[in-house]
Amino acid sequence: MTQISLRGLHKTFGSTHVVKDLHLDIADQEFLVLLGPSGCGKTTTMRMVAGLEQATHGEISFDGQRINEVPTQKRDVAMVFQNYGLYPHMTVAENIAYPLKLRGINPTDRDAAVKKAAARVELGAYLHRRPRELSGGQRQRVALARSIVRTPKVFLMDEPLSNLDAKLRVAMRAEIKHLAHELEVTTLYVTHDQVEAMTLANRVAIMKDGVILQLAPPEDIYNDPVDAYVAGFIGSPAMNLISLNSDRTWAKAENGVKIQVIAPRMGQITLGIRAEDMQLCAEADANFSAELFAFELLGDATMVTVKFGSTSVAVKGDKNLRLKFGDQVHVRFDPARLYWFDSSTGLRIRA
Amino acid sequence: MMTAAHESRETRIPGYVAPVHETAGNWLRQLIIFIGITAILLPISWIAITAFKLPRDVYSLDSAFIFSPTLENLQTVFEHPWNLGSKIFNSLCVAGGTVLLAIPMATLAAYAFSRFEFRFKKTIFLVVIASQFIPAAVVVLPYFLMFKQMGMLDTRSALILVNMSIVLPYAVWMMKGFIDAVPLEIEESAMVDGAHRARVIWEIVVPAALPGIITAAVFSFTLTWNEFLFALIISKQDALTLPIGLIGFRTERGDLWELMAAGGILITAPMFILSLLVQKQFIQSLTAGSVR
Repeated sequence: MTQISLRGLHKTFGSTHVVKDLHLDIADQEFLVLLGPSGCGKTTTMRMVAGLEQATHGEISFDGQRINEVPTQKRDVAMVFQNYGLYPHMTVAENIAYPLKLRGINPTDRDAAVKKAAARVELGAYLHRRPRELSGGQRQRVALARSIVRTPKVFLMDEPLSNLDAKLRVAMRAEIKHLAHELEVTTLYVTHDQVEAMTLANRVAIMKDGVILQLAPPEDIYNDPVDAYVAGFIGSPAMNLISLNSDRTWAKAENGVKIQVIAPRMGQITLGIRAEDMQLCAEADANFSAELFAFELLGDATMVTVKFGSTSVAVKGDKNLRLKFGDQVHVRFDPARLYWFDSSTGLRIRA
Repeated sequence: MMTAAHESRETRIPGYVAPVHETAGNWLRQLIIFIGITAILLPISWIAITAFKLPRDVYSLDSAFIFSPTLENLQTVFEHPWNLGSKIFNSLCVAGGTVLLAIPMATLAAYAFSRFEFRFKKTIFLVVIASQFIPAAVVVLPYFLMFKQMGMLDTRSALILVNMSIVLPYAVWMMKGFIDAVPLEIEESAMVDGAHRARVIWEIVVPAALPGIITAAVFSFTLTWNEFLFALIISKQDALTLPIGLIGFRTERGDLWELMAAGGILITAPMFILSLLVQKQFIQSLTAGSVR
């Protein structure tokens, strides 16, 4: 029910320019993920939407209404913090009820709403405990329940899963996705974990140094990255980026290994290719051959790594493949799945 | 504290042999502790004993420990001309009033120092603390003249004001530490949930910092309860506090030690009871919720 728009947003702390001229429109009921390394300005951007930080410049609006001057408590947003932000002196029930108490809702209705929200995140049995008696995952659920106990205009989630162990993270991820869909609330989600971004988002905004590099649905970011940085950030393993010195029908890698490939440009250029877009083959069909650097079993597949100088290249292999150190590996590209980047700017070179 | 030492000894694994340095230092350590405890407890136990002695037993060595106890002294001090009752009432009013006014003020000031950025913040904080480095003897005369001008000499309000000036800097400084320890995230969380600043302070920060606030309150109360110099100069008759009441027992007939000791018990006992009560409260607030 809320469309968010950020227009020419700037934020400086002293002499550090954290967010630079950010433009972003988040559609009603969209799940938008801000993805980037720490210090890229993603959390600051979210905090400006919440009103916890004042924008140095630019406009933030909900449904076309400028809200820069509206204080946090009147913005009607719900936020889940990285460390959950639970009130230590209140029980779980009181924590969840607090937003309703602040809105003057009577205790009977409050109780009913708390029970409903708690049941939704399977916390019903813990209502009388205090936060310190709960595990990390349970605390996370309390924070979630507190944000869904009312219907806010916007959900803001600041790395909500980063303090959970790997297994719980996967479970909670699905939970969050389901909740956001069910409650039909516009969600802005901040993370540095590209898997979270890929799995949760309707659209991902990749940020670096206070600027959005690419804003697109996850599959577009995966299949059509704008530059080498985005390509190297997304996917697991990330896209292989091989710097080449190209001639007409072949190119040389860092350590002089010859690679059979036709680059769109002569000279220095970076080739990007994903592990699953390569396969092992006979020597005659290979685009390049190299000595095995490492071989890993993944269960459903295997990962073969070779090295050109300091550049390592990962190739996905069949799950039944077995290799040993010292083996010579012959690799073939899927010619339709090659990405080219300018070596100095990192920008995509489209054929 | 004693139980903690006991426990650690009992929980040692059977057959555990203490390293040499632990056994060697043991008797010396206990001797030092014994001397320390004696130095602290001896005057207090002297007061506790003397308060129940008849005047003839006070100076007699024969009855240093064996004597027939009496409650007469505790009665006498409430009678004319000593009237310790009114002095206890004054002390309670002054100490209670000081705490009731100073603690809310100190909480808000400490919150501001902890959470807000403003010009000259460090300097102002330093000045608040440094105001305590001025010896009381230097300011007592200006205070006297000021209260005389204002017609407030020998009033409890004057004593409350003076004690606040003593207590506030300490309380602000102590409480800033406790508020610093409250995570900012829970305040932001409350704001997002819809609370304005005043409610955040009252419903989130104060409960979270409560053990610290209680500590500061007890500290302030004790400081005021025991305050001597200002009360001596500013009060004369109506606003006399308990510590000043005690010097009344030095008379032309000599020092009435048994009465002074009885008064000493009246001064110490409330503090003793308060610290017992608060200790329980304090530990409760610290461990709240950790026991199911």
